[in-house]
Amino acid sequence: MNAASRARARRVLILPPQRSCDWRQWLPDQREFLAAGSVDLHLGDWSMGCRELTELMDALAREGYTVQQVITHCATTQIGAAALGFPSSHRPIQESGKDNGDTDSTDRRGDLRIHRGTLRAGDQFNSEGHALIIGDVNPGASVTAKGDVYVWGRLRGRAHAGAAGSPSARIIALQLRPLQLRIADLVARGPEEPPWPGQAEQACIRDGDIAIEPAQPPFLDDQTNQRKSFSAG
Amino acid sequence: MTISRTILICSGKGGVGKTTLTANLGIALARQGARTVVLDADFGLRNLDLLLGLENRIVYTAQEVLAETCRLDQALVKHKQESNLALLPAGNPRMLEWLKPEDMQAIVSMLSERFDYVLIDCPAGIEDGFKNAAAAAKEAIVITTPEVSAVRDADRVIGLLNTRGVAPVQLVLNRVRPRMMANQEMLAVDDVTDILALPLLGLVLEDEQVIVSTNRGEPLTLNGSASPAAKAYTHIARRLQGEDVPLMDPAREGRTGLRAKVRRLMQTKIF
Repeated sequence: MNAASRARARRVLILPPQRSCDWRQWLPDQREFLAAGSVDLHLGDWSMGCRELTELMDALAREGYTVQQVITHCATTQIGAAALGFPSSHRPIQESGKDNGDTDSTDRRGDLRIHRGTLRAGDQFNSEGHALIIGDVNPGASVTAKGDVYVWGRLRGRAHAGAAGSPSARIIALQLRPLQLRIADLVARGPEEPPWPGQAEQACIRDGDIAIEPAQPPFLDDQTNQRKSFSAG
Repeated sequence: MTISRTILICSGKGGVGKTTLTANLGIALARQGARTVVLDADFGLRNLDLLLGLENRIVYTAQEVLAETCRLDQALVKHKQESNLALLPAGNPRMLEWLKPEDMQAIVSMLSERFDYVLIDCPAGIEDGFKNAAAAAKEAIVITTPEVSAVRDADRVIGLLNTRGVAPVQLVLNRVRPRMMANQEMLAVDDVTDILALPLLGLVLEDEQVIVSTNRGEPLTLNGSASPAAKAYTHIARRLQGEDVPLMDPAREGRTGLRAKVRRLMQTKIF
């Protein structure tokens, strides 16, 4: 009895990705694949306000589906679903879990530790090797790595590369506006002036000081003339 | 309304307008016909009852309800003008230690059987008071002001809410001064949403009427006041109910001339 009801609740109606089609055309064919009854509705990446959600729910009701729960990757849709009174769960494509070790938002590839999602104030992210943040590092958050720190987003918090003392470590971010930078045992305050838009930057040690310059991909040899050609352009 | 919504109103930093938002939102929702209860989880320094003008009517608290020395409807304080709204203080200011997260969940599950909206007024900080209040909430509204310190604390709180699985979390920006924003003396709306990366539920303008209404114990939304803050609170309530109400544009609210606009375009942001 219990198992049966759980199996019934697991029926999921999944909308195709938003770009691929209009759900109004897609919906009428679905009865062939999923019989009428109560379903969980997986909206994927669809961004829907209350009005469109209501329209969708009405259309689903006409097809004979009763929606038990709404699952979505999109925050707007979840707000709409909450406003309409549907239990909803938000499953971000980029998980926004937090610091303490092995949450599902972090994974390791060799000596690289990856975090997906924003690091918010008070969060700390540590890596024994390199650290890659896919998302922003907000003011008040900090990233520490024994190797390099890569931020695919805005770095506005603190970053420490080469934490075990390696002076060749670098800090690279799409937008580099940190409160404080550390490489090995050197400390520098972030730059006062805003960064150039559209230019990824890196911080590394030059002549015993931390310098900021246009970023180079890690596979390029760290040649000075290479850097000059960048800054000239 | 098919299910009851439990919404935590929190900020991290103190004094940014949690309690004022709770009181005004409670009244606005009730006036729109939703059965609403406001739960004062900040019972150590409780003043939600003051703002609602219900201080002298409190007899019992949730503490007595859980101890079964009184019934829930005895502890609920009905608002004198707005019958859809009730207040429940979570505890007695003299007994701070008693509340556990499970107690909070028990209270909220009792309340959600009777009300469409349960608004929880969260204490400032991220210690036990916050943890207790957050334990029972499904959704949250984070309120902040356009100040670096308030935004920083809000950011921290949002991180904590995310790890607790509270969602959706929406943002209210309080005490906005259009003139200062136009002159770049204050963080702009974009600066705040840029960092916090949350959907904006509402903007509330700085408004002297808020102080008057607080001291009087009559929330602004109660009498359909035309003041900017009252309007903003009502709009927030309507958006919460799923209505499409466009956001106020602070640039148009302030009396900004062409010069200020040009200056705004020319200058880079202060943050």
